[in-house]
Amino acid sequence: MKAVIKVDHLRKSYKDIKAVSDISFRVYEGEIFGMLGPNGAGKTTTMEIVEGIRKSDSGRVTVLGIDVKKDPRKVKTNIGVQLQTTSLYPRLTVREVMALFGSFYPKSASIDKLIKLVDLDDSKKKRCKNLSGGQQQRLSIALALVNNPKVLFLDEPTSGLDPQSRHNIWNMIEYVRSKGKSVFITTHYMEEAQRLCDRVAIIDYGKIIATDKPDKLISQHFQEEAIEFELSQKLENDVLSAVAGVTNVVQEDGKVIVYSNSVPITVSALLDLAKQRGFELTNLYVRRATLEDVFLKLTGRRIRE
Amino acid sequence: MKTFNMLLMANAKQFVREKAALFWTFLFPIFFILIFGAVFSGNMEDVNFNVGLVVEDDSAMAQNMSAALGQVNAFKVTEGQRDDEIQALQDGDRRAVLVIEQGFGATIAQGGTANVSVYYDPTQTSSVQILLPIVQKVVDNFDRALSGSIPRIHINEETLQSYSLRSIDYLVPGILAMSLMQLGLFGVAQLVVDRENKVLKRLGATPLRRSTMIMSTVVFNLIVAMLQAALIIIIARLVFGVPIMGNWFYLIGFIILGTLTFLAMGYMLSAFAKNQQTLMPLIMAVQFPMMFLSGIFFPLEMMPGFMRPIMDAMPLTYLADSVRQIMVESSAMHSHIINLAVLGVWFVVCLVLAVRFFKWE
Repeated sequence: MKAVIKVDHLRKSYKDIKAVSDISFRVYEGEIFGMLGPNGAGKTTTMEIVEGIRKSDSGRVTVLGIDVKKDPRKVKTNIGVQLQTTSLYPRLTVREVMALFGSFYPKSASIDKLIKLVDLDDSKKKRCKNLSGGQQQRLSIALALVNNPKVLFLDEPTSGLDPQSRHNIWNMIEYVRSKGKSVFITTHYMEEAQRLCDRVAIIDYGKIIATDKPDKLISQHFQEEAIEFELSQKLENDVLSAVAGVTNVVQEDGKVIVYSNSVPITVSALLDLAKQRGFELTNLYVRRATLEDVFLKLTGRRIRE
Repeated sequence: MKTFNMLLMANAKQFVREKAALFWTFLFPIFFILIFGAVFSGNMEDVNFNVGLVVEDDSAMAQNMSAALGQVNAFKVTEGQRDDEIQALQDGDRRAVLVIEQGFGATIAQGGTANVSVYYDPTQTSSVQILLPIVQKVVDNFDRALSGSIPRIHINEETLQSYSLRSIDYLVPGILAMSLMQLGLFGVAQLVVDRENKVLKRLGATPLRRSTMIMSTVVFNLIVAMLQAALIIIIARLVFGVPIMGNWFYLIGFIILGTLTFLAMGYMLSAFAKNQQTLMPLIMAVQFPMMFLSGIFFPLEMMPGFMRPIMDAMPLTYLADSVRQIMVESSAMHSHIINLAVLGVWFVVCLVLAVRFFKWE
């Protein structure tokens, strides 16, 4: 597979804070590559360095074979970028902003087609300030596609959107991939990474702690399933670990997750324990392990604060 | 070029679709002119009397007379040739011209009556009521010191028509200059808004060059400045008959230079402001002193002397001075060259500071 983005030993500090420390990864042609991590983990910094709008302290980044440090403008000509929260030219219409951005590039895609693609055909004469959050986000994706780029960068594209809008955007991103483009996306939504990404890098405190296909990441770390419930009284982790079938226990804010390699055995053992000790189990449900569980296992924290 | 035109159009559309911007740019200066024009509809009354002195006699007596006139506190005396000084009086640059006639010394020595001529415009009441009596008194004192009894010096009054500046003539060029200042200072505020809204960052992720972006903003503001100036000039002409007496090319040149200077100043202020909330007070802090201490609404001579250094530092003083000279041929505070130089220095200093300190994110 051909790598369209190569990042090696990237570092970036702001004063004393290491935003990115020694990150290396590849994004291949035609894949959706996700960077998953909590806010402040260094996702956006990494992405912006790759886009050429921020300078690294050290390390080497090439996009489509072009060294970003040496020729950021050439990189920018060939990529499409969507930033977190941009409100563009409030008094221009959708079509006007698209045409304006098109004029920044040597070659521009068909603007009317793009507007249709992101489902803004009915709003193309609307001024940007009158667009809804979802519409604005779709516009910013359309703007990122205006130069028909080979690589698309999306920084938290569905942040703050309702589920319907989120699904729309996922469909768009998948369509873009089907056209042979590569997509580099950051997110702090597990479902998004799991559903959308071909490969995911989990990032925390400026370091990549795991990179693989979402399914592989999960099966690598968990053969078990997760049982979540709440307890009417506090129990020590040791007590729960001793329950039959339990491999790992995580407790947070009164919520308990136990990972089990045999759900029926563990659940009945838990109920017995509850009867013995006289406490109650509530809101119990069983699910497959997710990327969230992987993150929790690797860092001891949940991804969302 | 296509990018540049598209940016220019984007600027124009953003501007035209913002009603507040339209109001402040075009209607506000017009209101100013109409209101002030209605309130101050009389003639300008200078507090200082610019007096021309022509000495055509080279006797010691004439020197003494000339010295006596030169010592009057209320007069700002300029010595020169008769033709030049009378021309200056007709242009409105002098309130009166005093001539010590040829043979002044010899006539007095021979016991005859010597002549001092006073040229003035009788329609200017302050000339008649204040200036003439002062001259009369100085001459009388001098006369009395000579002999005591018989008057030996005769004051010969010559009246002529002078061009006098009306308040509105004085005001309109000032308001034009002030509008350019406001346009320039606020013209760059958009840059800070765009930075705050991450528009600059988004543009930075495209191959668009910053220089192209800045140039389109500058050119756009120059176009607006021209429209604004044209509107002010037309309204002032139609409503109050304020003329443009000087050279159009000079006027356009100063409008461009003035706009550039204040754009650079606005750009510099943006460099020192974190966001819109801190930029606005900063602009106000610069704008208000300039509005009132640059001789826009009244001549600088009327201001207390200790404020002079501040006034002399303000670029608007110089822009207004030149625009006023060109439009209504008011008396020059400074020559165009000096005004040009001061504006030029302000432009360069602001620009250098702005480029050095402006943060794009």
